[in-house]
Amino acid sequence: MSQEELKAEINNAVEPLLPIEKKLIGWSLGTGLVLLAVLLLLSHYFPVS
Amino acid sequence: MTEAILSRTTASKPTLTEDWLAVVLGLLVFALAVGSFLGADLLGWAVTTSVWTDFSKALAPAAKAYAWLGGAGALAVTFVALVTVLSVGAVALGSDVRKFIPAFAVVFALSYASWILGSYASLAVVTPADQAKFGLGWSLKLTNEGGFLIALVAGLIIANFFPRFADWLKEAIRPELYIKIAIVILGAFIAVTAAGKLTLASSLLLRGLAAIIEAYLIYWSVVYFVARKYFGFSREWAAPLASGISICGVAAAISTGGAIRARPQVAVLVSSLVVVFAVIEVLVLPFVAQTFLSHEPLVAAAWLGLAVKTDGAAVAAGGITDALIVAKAAAEGINYQPGWILATTATVKVFIDVFIGVWAFILAYVWTNHVNVAAGGEKAKLSEIWQRFPKFILGFIATFAIGLTLALHSDAQSLPKLTAAIGQANVFRVIFFILTFFSIGVLSNFRKLWEDGLGKLAAVYFVSLFGFVIWVGLLISWLFFAGVKPPLVG
Repeated sequence: MSQEELKAEINNAVEPLLPIEKKLIGWSLGTGLVLLAVLLLLSHYFPVS
Repeated sequence: MTEAILSRTTASKPTLTEDWLAVVLGLLVFALAVGSFLGADLLGWAVTTSVWTDFSKALAPAAKAYAWLGGAGALAVTFVALVTVLSVGAVALGSDVRKFIPAFAVVFALSYASWILGSYASLAVVTPADQAKFGLGWSLKLTNEGGFLIALVAGLIIANFFPRFADWLKEAIRPELYIKIAIVILGAFIAVTAAGKLTLASSLLLRGLAAIIEAYLIYWSVVYFVARKYFGFSREWAAPLASGISICGVAAAISTGGAIRARPQVAVLVSSLVVVFAVIEVLVLPFVAQTFLSHEPLVAAAWLGLAVKTDGAAVAAGGITDALIVAKAAAEGINYQPGWILATTATVKVFIDVFIGVWAFILAYVWTNHVNVAAGGEKAKLSEIWQRFPKFILGFIATFAIGLTLALHSDAQSLPKLTAAIGQANVFRVIFFILTFFSIGVLSNFRKLWEDGLGKLAAVYFVSLFGFVIWVGLLISWLFFAGVKPPLVG
């Protein structure tokens, strides 16, 4: 990949988000927030001694 | 970083990967330390550096039994031992050992000189008592860990002003190898530190799980979305970039790039960017942590583990922050046990690393089945989880488990001996940290990055890191670690 090709590729890419990508993003974020809330509850019930 | 690795001369077919070599060398140092614990002083010859004003007193062997070596002798023996063992390692990696040896000699000399300079009292001392001891009215208060930053700056100067020299050194510029060896050794140090306060340590482990969720599920999805939606990057660029910014830098970018079958150049360029930003973070964040989080040391520790990318930079930043915060607290009359901040940062980072393989498999599954579906094309295999698993973590787990077992079965007489023996191994952990800092600097050629046209990639990185990752990392670290303090000395 030449420097010019690289610059062109980085600056001109057009690929709309696919439904599967939206699903991946949504599920990751949703699962992450729920798991964090669970962990927060756990750390509340098992405080550092 | 990877660019340098890829452009190295391959003299022969590698017989070991860098990860497995790190396991072997880390375990070797640990085994010698255990030998010291059992009565044979096998590592006492290693060189240590004290804070100094009189240079003749700067260096000394780690153990008094080797005092006859003197500081210069200990330095020479340490160098010979390292160059011998690492040369064998270089052969195992398929490198050209004739190029490795002179390059490593220079890398070691410049790195260790930086460390010695960083231990100069006017730069290093922190407390008024130490200032009085050295007859100083003023000091930069960098602690002797400031030597890491000097090594980093020395590397940066070489990379940006002496590129031919940097190129000549490349055979010995192996920050990933050095930090992996250091992390394997660190396992034993963390075990001995944790054994004294097992309940606190296990509470920290529970809280460390939050880091995994945050890095993989929250950071990754947001950064990927920002890169795709607002910066218009293709999937091939956005996935490794999101992994580099969110997870653990170079290793994650390479694993993810491989998983989605991206071209190797993509992971290489993203890795270069990760290293440059990690350098900026290491130079800035420990001091920010010392200034604003010195009363919440473990929030600072977890935050660095989440915010600083690449294992080397994160763990090393944890080491600097440990020294800075412990010193600042000591000046205020609070004597925290050293090592807990470093241990927490390292644990957070290792926790994150463990799941790289799983995440790479998930992405490979999504990409091969839903994004780039090719008739008869290669599908993701479960074995990729193991293939992409960072094997050096097995070394970390081994030294941690053995160290913890030894510590928990030691009585009041033998525990100090074990602590001293692991302290000798820790001398090598510090040396590998120094080599890591110098090497990261040598790989950070800002001018080349700009010439490569990576401004837009850097923009995503900047926006994501400083606009999101750092702040969310701080919030989550605060939620999980606020109020948790390291134990006090005594």
